[in-house]
Amino acid sequence: MSAETIPSLSPRRMAWFPTRGRISWFEIALLLIACALVVSGMASSLQDVLLLSFLFGGLALAWNIAGGYAGLISFGHSAFFGVGAYASTILSTRYGITPWIGIWIGALIAAMFGAVLALICARLRGPFFILSTLAFAEVVRIGALNWSSLTGGAEGLSIMPAPSLIGMVFASKAAYAALMLFYLVAVFAITKGLEASRFGYYLFAIRDNEDAAGAAGVNPLLGRTAALALSAALTGIGGSLFAQYFLYLDPTYVISPELSFQFALLPAVGGLGTAIGPVLGSFLITPLSELLRSYLGSSAVGLHLVIYSFGLIVVMLYFPAGLAGALDKLTRRGRPR
Amino acid sequence: MSALLEVRHVSRSFRTTLAVDDASFEVQPGELLGLIGPNGAGKSTLFNLVAGVIAPSSGQILFDGKPIQGWKSHDIARVGVARTFQIPKPYRQLSVIENVMLSAFLREKSIAGARRLAEATLADVGLDAYGGSPASSLTVGLLKRLEVARALAMRPKLVLFDEIMAGLTPTEVGAMTKFVAGLPARGITVIWVEHVLYAIMKTATRMVVVNRGKKIAEGTPTELARHPEVVKAYLGEEMDLA
Ligand SMILES: Nc1ncnc2c1ncn2[C@@H]1O[C@H](COP(=O)(O)OP(=O)(O)OP(=O)(O)O)[C@@H](O)[C@H]1O
Ligand SMILES: [Mg+2]
Repeated sequence: MSAETIPSLSPRRMAWFPTRGRISWFEIALLLIACALVVSGMASSLQDVLLLSFLFGGLALAWNIAGGYAGLISFGHSAFFGVGAYASTILSTRYGITPWIGIWIGALIAAMFGAVLALICARLRGPFFILSTLAFAEVVRIGALNWSSLTGGAEGLSIMPAPSLIGMVFASKAAYAALMLFYLVAVFAITKGLEASRFGYYLFAIRDNEDAAGAAGVNPLLGRTAALALSAALTGIGGSLFAQYFLYLDPTYVISPELSFQFALLPAVGGLGTAIGPVLGSFLITPLSELLRSYLGSSAVGLHLVIYSFGLIVVMLYFPAGLAGALDKLTRRGRPR
Repeated sequence: MSALLEVRHVSRSFRTTLAVDDASFEVQPGELLGLIGPNGAGKSTLFNLVAGVIAPSSGQILFDGKPIQGWKSHDIARVGVARTFQIPKPYRQLSVIENVMLSAFLREKSIAGARRLAEATLADVGLDAYGGSPASSLTVGLLKRLEVARALAMRPKLVLFDEIMAGLTPTEVGAMTKFVAGLPARGITVIWVEHVLYAIMKTATRMVVVNRGKKIAEGTPTELARHPEVVKAYLGEEMDLA
């Protein structure tokens, strides 16, 4: 009798709309549209926005594993982004290791950073945790700034712009768009897998009630550490891809509170703890922020953050469950939640 | 020697309050031990000590002959100790059945297996009609039953029930009493804290009475009903065994 409200009880038929732990037609349709957009050969400025929307969709999903599923709201994820970006870039520019391999090494190092952050903050909750993540990223940024023999310091690092497959540098934006879309789909698939796994349930439990989780035999510290490590690794991969696209990075560019805030904002707008939410959030906010950036230009540094914050407050007030929550309500009219 | 749980001279203080003061008692396998005492006597604190939510200031706790004091709660859960929370602690964003599945994972590693065990446990406590409801929608009485279901889905050797009757109607109290009374026969040893005295004194094989952190009496319900100190100091004049 409960099959209707617990979608995963009837795993045979595919759902029409986003459902925890399962792929829906809605998501398939979005993917097809995305593929069509990639191959459509649109204007290059639009392609910029498109591929950034893909990239940030993946990054938002990565953040959401910690922030949405495990309840670890972090404002320090740009640290992992930076670690990934630096790792693959240093490996390719200094040691000639192809980014195709460097990305994975970067993910591994980012995962270790994530685990370290989880262990440092083992006893911190709520605002204390959030502030620590902010401080953590700042420490990493200052570290990158000062360890200039490795990172190039404030001057940053540049990647040779000559297109090459092995160097993961492409002449066409469509190729980048395909790469970013692949990243988005991969992180999305991982998120869906998580939702349908025992580990995913452990994270929900730790998020909702740590005492109860402990009483049920779930190790909260282990769960939080694993969640943050996974989230950090996936964020690191996004950082590497970012570097391969912009071909330049410096500490303040890839590790900043603004960037960290962006990673948190997209899932918050889209719907925390859902798979489709961060994707929808990115497709709403990323184009908007690109628009704002070009509209406001450099005349009003930080003004876009003010506008964001305002937008975030509006969303929190009127759509506490984000776009995904609104979609859910819309498509389930008449049925009890 | 063969006790399932042994609490030896356990004390725990919070700043100035001595919540548990040199408590010692044993529970044999298959027992249904009633633990009673006035508000603030230290009953929930004792449960928190046994379940590893807090560590004792001094003393020893043995489960199956192994010292477990100071262990983390998830490690204690894994050796077979389940507990309910006096104030229910559901996973609010999950459905009722998912709440129970999280306990079932201790025994059933697959999602499907855990779901089956959770369904059976929900039916056991009469919550099967609520499996798909969000836990946040349950009334207090139903949340208490969810606590019981979560504890039992762990297939524990020992279960600690902390006031699972509060908020139940008299009929429900009767049903729940019968249900708890049947647990020892299923291989589950029970320690039961309850203020509904007639229910617990009817079912308990043995009782421990605490007051101000100290154990003041121990014995069968009939013995305690005649125990002058218990009757006077705690139970009052009106105690009668239904
Ligand atoms: N975490 C804590 N911090 C400080 N004091 C506490 C804590 N937990 C319990 N106490 C105190 O310890 C004493 C025993 O409380 P406990 O909750 O164990 O009583 P109880 O027997 O379960 O009472 P009740 O029947 O009301 O549930 C009380 O004085 C309580 O205020
Ligand atoms: Mg209590």
